[in-house]
Amino acid sequence: MPLFGKSQKSPADVVKALKEAVNSLEKGDKKAEKAQEDVSKNLVLIKNMLYGTSDAEPQTDIIVAQLAQELYNSNLLLLLIQNLNRIDFEGKKDVAQVFNNILRRQIGTRSPTVEYICTKPEILFTLMTGYEHQEIALNCGTMLRECARYEALAKIMLYSDDFYNFFKYVEVSTFDIASDAFSTFKELLTRHKMLCADFLEMNYDKVFNHYQRLLNSENYVTRRQSLKLLGELLLDRHNFTVMTRYISNPDNLKLMMNMLKERSRNIQFEAFHVFKVFVANPNKPKPILDILLRNQDKLVEFLMKFHTDRAEDEQFNDEKAYLIRQIKELRPAADH
Amino acid sequence: MVNFEANNDHYSTVSLLGQCWDGLAIVHLAKHIPSDKMVAIKRFNMDKIKEESNLVEHEIILTRQLQHPNITRYYSSFVIGPEVCVVSPLMAFGSCRDLLNTHFSHGLPENAIALILREVLEGLDYIHKKGFIHRALRASHILISANGRVCLSGLRYACPIIEHGRWQRQIHSFPASTARNLNWLSPEVLEQNLQGYNEKSDIYSIGVVLCELANGAEPFAGMPTTLMLIEKVRGAAPQLLDCTTVPRDENNEIHGFSQDQANRRFSEGLHQLAALCLQREPKCRPTASQLLTHSYLKVNRRGLQLPDLLKPAIPLSDRVAQNTDELANLDTIQRMSDLELYTCEWDF
Repeated sequence: MPLFGKSQKSPADVVKALKEAVNSLEKGDKKAEKAQEDVSKNLVLIKNMLYGTSDAEPQTDIIVAQLAQELYNSNLLLLLIQNLNRIDFEGKKDVAQVFNNILRRQIGTRSPTVEYICTKPEILFTLMTGYEHQEIALNCGTMLRECARYEALAKIMLYSDDFYNFFKYVEVSTFDIASDAFSTFKELLTRHKMLCADFLEMNYDKVFNHYQRLLNSENYVTRRQSLKLLGELLLDRHNFTVMTRYISNPDNLKLMMNMLKERSRNIQFEAFHVFKVFVANPNKPKPILDILLRNQDKLVEFLMKFHTDRAEDEQFNDEKAYLIRQIKELRPAADH
Repeated sequence: MVNFEANNDHYSTVSLLGQCWDGLAIVHLAKHIPSDKMVAIKRFNMDKIKEESNLVEHEIILTRQLQHPNITRYYSSFVIGPEVCVVSPLMAFGSCRDLLNTHFSHGLPENAIALILREVLEGLDYIHKKGFIHRALRASHILISANGRVCLSGLRYACPIIEHGRWQRQIHSFPASTARNLNWLSPEVLEQNLQGYNEKSDIYSIGVVLCELANGAEPFAGMPTTLMLIEKVRGAAPQLLDCTTVPRDENNEIHGFSQDQANRRFSEGLHQLAALCLQREPKCRPTASQLLTHSYLKVNRRGLQLPDLLKPAIPLSDRVAQNTDELANLDTIQRMSDLELYTCEWDF
């Protein structure tokens, strides 16, 4: 026992103290104020063990291992996330930092926290519903994106019914929450190529029905972001099957042709990158070919005048020239 | 506590305050109708913004996650048409750069500098403790409210110190779209070498800001960028201009400086502070919290009020800000540009 200054609390002590404080915060009894203080204090202690501070190194691996083990055994991670809205402003961020650090923990090639969360998927579902609460949405967002880095966790989230709530979250009126939700949404749909391709193939109708709503959103930012992401998804070679399916549907072509004419130049430009896939397809289904043929002259004229100020963008100009040539050369398919 | 909703209908625009973000955004003075409070609304036209659109998002999300009396607050943000709007408190004296431009072309009075510096350091200390480096400290990112509260803004250039689950000892990333901030950046940020930099680079910028506030001019203004870099790497630093530093020729004449600057005398403490911050070696520079305990900032200035020290500058109020003509013009331009629509109709 040192004579001066505080003794170093053990991980077990800190976790126990934090759990008691969160429990009492949850009950909301008359000791709530004291509990709030204890929660904040112990969160900072844990955070400093994991990260160190600007003038102290983080704790040794043994201490961190003990801490992680205590966190799993006490079920504290879930408890913290469930009570996140009750924790004060700085404490909420500390929870996210503690969570993100523990999540990255590795023993050799194993990620014990990831394995732990796989057995407690409520953690993920609770985090996802966090987007419904203004005051914790951004904190939950940072934790969710950290989780999405791991394929096993991304899979649980993608294949859950809650995933479809993202189509609502990315469109909420508060811009910072909507764009944070969009980053998470995008991460889930693009990070693990094979997983994402399988997911999109198996859930094509449901996902693209929802996606259609984003492309027609009244919110400019949602419309632009979702259109850009659509282009990225379709042009990713892993999603070949999904792309083929998407560009066979004449309604999708009509939507893109209309978006080419939108008032916003950025939306026109993003729409171009989806539109080009329809034209470049060597096996155009008849309904697609028919639409393109009906508008052959208009399209050529339109594209000639399309974004002519992008002279320095070589790739864009090559692609545009290619599309114009392709459309000019379109001929009706021979009847069988 | 007023709830500033993310709903455009709750705000009525009063007048145009100016531009920010290199003209990518305009700032309106507006009234929050339910509470009758005046606010500033920044409007970013996202259709005109290209690479910087991530920065808009980054600044808003980061600012929303910081809460400190000396950091600009964003009450809410929402999308209306192609614009992202950010509601924040009205900072009625504008930025320190505005003050220098309008009333203090040779620098602010020393007491005002001391009061501003103290609050800037409080804000900066918070940012550092929360694990961020500001990377764009400059007079234009220091805002002052009607009652003299000082707030840091410009967080779009900030970067996290915590990466990959660790508190990094060095950062190597170079801030994006930062061309206009180069004069304030530390030699180690500009060098972009393997040694990287840390939060001490902000302390160097504090030193540059001190000189800016005291002298009125942007440090290194008009100097070619490469020369500025060479000077900084050599360890040459800007100085506070007063009778101890303004050079005189053999006839005791001054060249290129004002009489004001040549005759005044800043206190020893301020000179010392600037020199501490502007040291070439990052390790030698004090941290923000150490600077706050510097004897110069410990002097009791309780009787002093920043708004008094800033006279003749007066804070903007809804009465003095009536430039509705300009507003109407802007609206017309907006509407005209909306008229350029494509006329062609597809045949489905």
